[in-house]
Amino acid sequence: MKMIRTAGPALTGRDPFTAKRIRIKLLTRSALVIRMTILMLALLTLLGFLTFNYQGVNFFKGVAATLSNFKVIFIQPAFAHVTFQGAIGELLITLSLGILTTLLGAVIALFLSLFAAKNLSNRMTSNIVKELVAIIRAVPTVLWVLIFAVSAGLGSVAAVIGMSFHSISYLTKAYSESFEEMDRGTIEALEGCGASWWQIVWQAVIPSSLTSMISWTFIRFEVNFGVAVAMGAAAGAGGIGYDMFMDSSYYYNLHEMGAIAYFILIVAMILEYGSVKIKDKIRA
Amino acid sequence: MATLLEFRDVSKRYGNDTLALSHVSFSVNEGELVSIIGPSGAGKSTLLRCINRLIEATSGEVIFDKTNVQQLSKGKLRALRTKIGMIFQSYNLVDRLSVFENVLHGRLGYKPAFVGALGLYHESEKKQALEILKSLGLEDQVYKRCDQLSGGQKQRVGIARALVQEPRMLLADEPIASLDPSSSKTIMDHLRHISTSLGITVLVNLHQLDIALNYADRIIGVSQGKVVFDGLPSELTDETIRTIYGADSEELNLNIPESKEVARKI
Repeated sequence: MKMIRTAGPALTGRDPFTAKRIRIKLLTRSALVIRMTILMLALLTLLGFLTFNYQGVNFFKGVAATLSNFKVIFIQPAFAHVTFQGAIGELLITLSLGILTTLLGAVIALFLSLFAAKNLSNRMTSNIVKELVAIIRAVPTVLWVLIFAVSAGLGSVAAVIGMSFHSISYLTKAYSESFEEMDRGTIEALEGCGASWWQIVWQAVIPSSLTSMISWTFIRFEVNFGVAVAMGAAAGAGGIGYDMFMDSSYYYNLHEMGAIAYFILIVAMILEYGSVKIKDKIRA
Repeated sequence: MATLLEFRDVSKRYGNDTLALSHVSFSVNEGELVSIIGPSGAGKSTLLRCINRLIEATSGEVIFDKTNVQQLSKGKLRALRTKIGMIFQSYNLVDRLSVFENVLHGRLGYKPAFVGALGLYHESEKKQALEILKSLGLEDQVYKRCDQLSGGQKQRVGIARALVQEPRMLLADEPIASLDPSSSKTIMDHLRHISTSLGITVLVNLHQLDIALNYADRIIGVSQGKVVFDGLPSELTDETIRTIYGADSEELNLNIPESKEVARKI
């Protein structure tokens, strides 16, 4: 409460030469709002901890049990129901799900983003496409998969459609923003040569933004790989995520969960490394 | 000589009150090199862009080669633009593409949309582009990416892109404003050559008075959207220079006799 009490004199007594206590910083309206927000968050956190329902779970015992589970998962990984080759096969299924949805998203997003970019489209079309895409993006991928599961049934079809849907909206935003960075003069120069809209797009706009388009697509691929793992479990789309889900919920086999977790981690690291390499190559 | 371009009472208004061009009338003959001079913001760039309709004039008529530019349909406008090459102060090349690809962009206007979009060019067009590059001294840069070139080289690529269009007229919007003196001279020499030897009409915006006096067949002075002088470089008096550059001419006054002197010597 002390902060609020000092706000009054600080706002009025701005002259440091006459003030009783000399302030280094003036308490402006925005500073006051930030302080209030932090205070509210602190109060809510405190309130949360005080009103938790622990239901007889001993906090320290709980932490100790979790740590021992982690020990089993990460220090003693082993295969039981899946073989090593089998895990690789399942991993390829998950990877394919990621690649397919990214590709579908990229191709459709490429065309949508041309209409979303302000410098290539008219203001109305651009605004409509951008708004539409923003709404689609606001709903999480998992929810889209579940929405499509209503018509397609829970499984790989719903996963592919739902994940592509979200990828389209994400990549449309990313691509159209890369297009908008394009120098207006270059487009003007080609218009002046008598070039048509499609010619300008393929001969100037896309070559100029190719690097950033590729890196956005790769970022989306990494996201889609992660989502594909989760979809294996949540939507029954198959792949490595499904095996992990079975281990954790039916077999209670933590050793195998660990093995699968390491598998996924290695692939994610390879993807990251590969995308950095590719970005370096095309930038040079 | 036949008249190639004619402005009849052309005005351009931005928004409600900014009048960029006001009742501009003049004509340009075939094969001439005409320089438009005037202070920044006088409407020189707007004037140039009204010719190929990168900017639409608000009223008046622009006649190019006996056709009224304002009334052309979209397809006809594309055909007209192939006949008018344009170069810019900031070169406006696609930096990530090679010199060769950028020059070939000048041929896009002649092609059906999808052929040009795929970047398919005829062997004869490639040969023509190479010859133009050679005549501009860029034969060693053909496959270089444009972002590896110097300013002077980029502007020559810009000229090559315009020439490969086989234009009847070349518009140059402050072509040397971001170049050093020696590159500037090279570019202006090329423009002079294009006008004299190739018979292409050149309309060039300049803010360097001495260079305009040196190279132009005719000078058009623009001030606050109005044409205030239209005549030979030798007819340009200190008085008219003062009207063109207005109150800013105080510093210029020192340079005018000198630059005219320099121009005469060359």
